[in-house]
Amino acid sequence: MNRFVNFLRQYHARHNFAWIGFWLILGLGGCATTQNTAANKVDPYENYNRKVYSFNDKVDDYVAKPIADAYKAITPDFMETGVSNFFNNLKTVNVVLNDVLQAKFEQGGRDTGRLLMNTTLGMAGLFDVAKTVGLEQNDEDFEQTLAVWGVPQGTYIVLPLLGPITTRGIPGAVFDTAANPVNYVGAPIQAISLINSRANAEGALKFIDEAALDPYVFTRESFLQWRNHLATDGKADSTSDDLLDIDVDSPGSNQKTGINSSTTAGEKNSPLPSTTNNSEAKNLANKNTLKILPPDLPDTEKVPTGKMLRDTKKQ
Amino acid sequence: MAKKFLTLFMLCCLCMGGLSDAFALDQANSKARQVVDKFQEELIDVMKNGKKLGYSGRYDKLKESVTNSHDLGKIARIVVGKEWEKLPEPQQQQLSEVFSKLSIASYAHNFKDYSGETFTFDNEEETTRGGIVIHTILNIPDDKPVKFDYMLKQNGDNWRIINIIANGVSDLALKRSEYTSILQREGFDALIAKINEKIDNYSKQ
Repeated sequence: MNRFVNFLRQYHARHNFAWIGFWLILGLGGCATTQNTAANKVDPYENYNRKVYSFNDKVDDYVAKPIADAYKAITPDFMETGVSNFFNNLKTVNVVLNDVLQAKFEQGGRDTGRLLMNTTLGMAGLFDVAKTVGLEQNDEDFEQTLAVWGVPQGTYIVLPLLGPITTRGIPGAVFDTAANPVNYVGAPIQAISLINSRANAEGALKFIDEAALDPYVFTRESFLQWRNHLATDGKADSTSDDLLDIDVDSPGSNQKTGINSSTTAGEKNSPLPSTTNNSEAKNLANKNTLKILPPDLPDTEKVPTGKMLRDTKKQ
Repeated sequence: MAKKFLTLFMLCCLCMGGLSDAFALDQANSKARQVVDKFQEELIDVMKNGKKLGYSGRYDKLKESVTNSHDLGKIARIVVGKEWEKLPEPQQQQLSEVFSKLSIASYAHNFKDYSGETFTFDNEEETTRGGIVIHTILNIPDDKPVKFDYMLKQNGDNWRIINIIANGVSDLALKRSEYTSILQREGFDALIAKINEKIDNYSKQ
């Protein structure tokens, strides 16, 4: 149905597209120090990033997409699903590791159960039998763990072949790559994994083509917001500062509220701004800090939360 | 005795004041929720009849639904941020018009079929600046549910949607970044041309 929903689901798949370029990227890392001509704080290398984005887009058009299309054309649907399930199951090893690192022991137990069930009853992960008994797949990775540990998000970078990432995401990607068994079983399996990731991302990429007025900005914003959504386990979505600050009732209110149109969602929308301590911000988000007192009071004086108000009303 | 009575009277007044505040808040929440409920019902209805209606049928039906539930004028103003004040009035008017068309066209294009989806209400919250966020869940058969949070603000007596946050991705923030970036990099005419191109593409698919 809703293609936007599919876009949200599939978006992160592209992020997995080409870790093979990682060492290449490190070699090109010097490019990331090009002069800062963009006003954007989260994306200071926008000019460089736009060039790499354009390069990646061409590689995708001429190499990745034709291969993924051919794969989809020759592979029966049930086999495609089986392949996706197989690689997802391997990723669960990393999910369990990060559950533990984030002290989510209960979720870790469920994910371990999911891994064991799919590996045995699900024939090495080809069938997602755990889903049928209510063990949904969780999405955890090392970048989210770093966010929980309080590591700032850092700046947004588009890496050749790899695509969008933040500076916090780089060690995250290294850890995730090392913790994924697929990277120890040989090049052919790794190649199929990449093709599978690209094939799964088809809907998301098509959505960007259809909906985006500026595909680069669209990709950056949705990437940063999606990563924040994951890092906060979806608990901070509509309590974002951006939503609370946007008010155009009075002329010039943008200036008054300090919104800079060139800042990105990662900053203005995120409860985890790169300049603050993420674990502290996450705690605030988890406490459902939607303030309801008049906006003219200083932040420190706004004590009651939306949740508290509802609780009070119930009493 | 008189002092006790006065204190009791003052306490009653305070309680009444608190109750009336809570009552007003409940009323506002209820009105805001009704707007979202109605819009979601109409959206599901359009999806169910999506193929029969075709693009233009869906567009016509959704034009009324979207206009009655969203504050498109305010959204158009927010998405260009401080650039709005720099635009002459005819350009502001033109932007509002094409933006409204694009919003409806986008719904008509993306919500074209139905496979058993339902929306359920989760909870609601008040925001700092007098807005209300209605949290809902889109249930999709054989798939993970998706969080849809609607932020509404009051426009006169009516509550209107000004933002939709789907699984953490804010439509308003996304559009604001895109629109301001295009305005700054390429100018007003390029923005209008890009919006018209999208509307045109949606109508062809």
